[in-house]
Amino acid sequence: MQLISSTYIAKAAIKKDGVIRHELTEDNWLKECYQKMELDYPKFHKMDNLSKMAFLSLELMKTSAVFDTIEDDTVELIFANTSASQHTDLKFIDSYQHQGNPSPSLFVYTLPNILTGELAIRNKWYGENTFFVASEFDASLFTERMHHSAQNGKKLCLCGWVESKLDEKNMPELEECFLFLVAVNKETSDLAQTNFASDLIDLYKNNQTK
Amino acid sequence: MSDLKETLKSQIIEQLSLEDITPADIQNDAPLFDESGLGLDSIDALEFIVLLETNYGIKISDPSRGKEIFHSIDTLAAFIENNK
Amino acid sequence: MDIFVTGYGAISCIGLNVQEHFDSLLNEKSGIKKGLHPHSERFLVGEIPLTNQQLIDRFQLKANGSRTGLLACIAAKEAFNGQTEHPELKTGIISGTSVGGMDISEIEYRSFLKEQTHDLSKYKEHLSGNAAEEIANELGIDGFLNTISTACSSAANAIMMGARMMLQGQLDRVVVGGTDALSEFTINGFRSLMIFDENWCRPFDESRKGLNLGEGAGFIVLENSKSLAITKSTPLAKLKGWSNASDAYHQTASSPEGYGATLSITEALKVAKLNPSEIDYINAHGTATPNNDLSESQAIKKVFGDIIPAFSSTKAFTGHTLAASGGIEAVFGILAIQHGYVFANLNHRNVIEETKLMPVTKTMKVDKVRNVLSNSFGFGGNNSTIILGEV
Repeated sequence: MQLISSTYIAKAAIKKDGVIRHELTEDNWLKECYQKMELDYPKFHKMDNLSKMAFLSLELMKTSAVFDTIEDDTVELIFANTSASQHTDLKFIDSYQHQGNPSPSLFVYTLPNILTGELAIRNKWYGENTFFVASEFDASLFTERMHHSAQNGKKLCLCGWVESKLDEKNMPELEECFLFLVAVNKETSDLAQTNFASDLIDLYKNNQTK
Repeated sequence: MSDLKETLKSQIIEQLSLEDITPADIQNDAPLFDESGLGLDSIDALEFIVLLETNYGIKISDPSRGKEIFHSIDTLAAFIENNK
Repeated sequence: MDIFVTGYGAISCIGLNVQEHFDSLLNEKSGIKKGLHPHSERFLVGEIPLTNQQLIDRFQLKANGSRTGLLACIAAKEAFNGQTEHPELKTGIISGTSVGGMDISEIEYRSFLKEQTHDLSKYKEHLSGNAAEEIANELGIDGFLNTISTACSSAANAIMMGARMMLQGQLDRVVVGGTDALSEFTINGFRSLMIFDENWCRPFDESRKGLNLGEGAGFIVLENSKSLAITKSTPLAKLKGWSNASDAYHQTASSPEGYGATLSITEALKVAKLNPSEIDYINAHGTATPNNDLSESQAIKKVFGDIIPAFSSTKAFTGHTLAASGGIEAVFGILAIQHGYVFANLNHRNVIEETKLMPVTKTMKVDKVRNVLSNSFGFGGNNSTIILGEV
């Protein structure tokens, strides 16, 4: 199990491999990030925050050379969070309880796994994809799944912890995306796997502190 | 009618989150669902249906009529005028 | 390694347990009716005609929160069938859901809008992971718990994950499946997407207009040989194949040529080491939306060629139970194998013009059902297939 690249995006900054690439100052920091990265993908603006974060994180990561050689069904997408699509769920409820009509474009995003669909659509990836709900960032959830992937002959896993958690006023309390691309192989020992999980937790925590 | 068309353009931009577009970018006769127009998709068509009901009180129950009604700003404005 | 299915449990509008489901399937009795609650009474839905309190009392549940959790406990309890924790067995629960505790959050949000105050503790059940914990508490299992949230393929993905963990030696025994309760949220959502039929749905019919929503839970118990030797359970079937693939086309629609579905069906057959000709029955995803049924038909044609096995969608019986569908339909697959039946695709009149595939329109006894293939395709292009076979 070998880390190829990681990105971390949150309101303060967007980082690649631990290095700050863009500092963000605006309230609409996701749009600010999109503009600073000079991307051209109009569908971005229709996405919910989870999909936007995952999309931006991956676009930043794609500057790594390994993306030139990925075949279309060889990357497994493994994603997780705690709050599922809670943020968009409440917006959708608001659209019919308060605004008068349920919004189809909001309903589309009331499932956390739509973000893996967005990444697959953008990159034309046809491989496996999954989304777990866990009570906190659990590195072993990812390493276990990557271990299965390797046993099934996969070579690359794109993993992400993408969270949009609300406070009691239904405002975003924590929004972050930690994306990591890992080369996997069958021979990884249990000990190596455990060490990798431990390194992942450190990497995640280091990224969270500015 | 041209006021309606300008209003529609602003409403569409807001409802469909077309952040990179201004009303001046939308030609009245451009096919909205074509790449040469705004490249809208099926979910956008559904949002149009919501827009018609919320803003103009016109209900469309058959989504397949969407393609003809929402073809362009011109056809959409004409539809609204005829169904007010 | 063989993976044995040793228990099954289901609850939906056509039955409170597996036997009632089988009776309904045999008698071609759909459970889709006008709903019983303010949010459902205007529509045809597959609603379980019991309140939460009635469910708790009837099934003597420890749980008492979200309806999604209650349904999960009922089906999982039936599947586990009195088995218990065992010190020598690694036991787990993997549950799929999309609605989670939304039924409680809807009520809570309404009062938030009125009073602008929150009892945050009520939202704790909104978390999708709650059902797996409730099942663990109900069954007295203290082991691996996991929740998958991949829309309508959640239960199938839970089954697949359970199988893989067993193959890796991480689990000996696992309760897998999915659950979703009916909610105003999903009714409004599917109506806004205009894939919601105000009449009784018509899977694989040329005139189909959309789905009917349902609710329910379906769970199965998987055991390896080591577990069987200890629990002495009787295997009902074997889990032989599984797979998951991305359609990479659209957030909520399937590619017209059924690309992702073709991938998942093909790969599941490979995992099971079966030829298409060895599948005797397909329980299709068959939601009755114009898009899914065409896309899925194209995939079935591509994989099976000129010799299409008996196939049907059972969603005109149960409605689309979202994350529970893969679990409930796995139970149907096992019943098909056990009893040698294929189940009716109700409310069918005319084949889809473009593909001309004819489903089974009457529940029928057949010579043998060796292997059943079950599809579950979720929003986000998440396509999953499982294959069950005789022991």
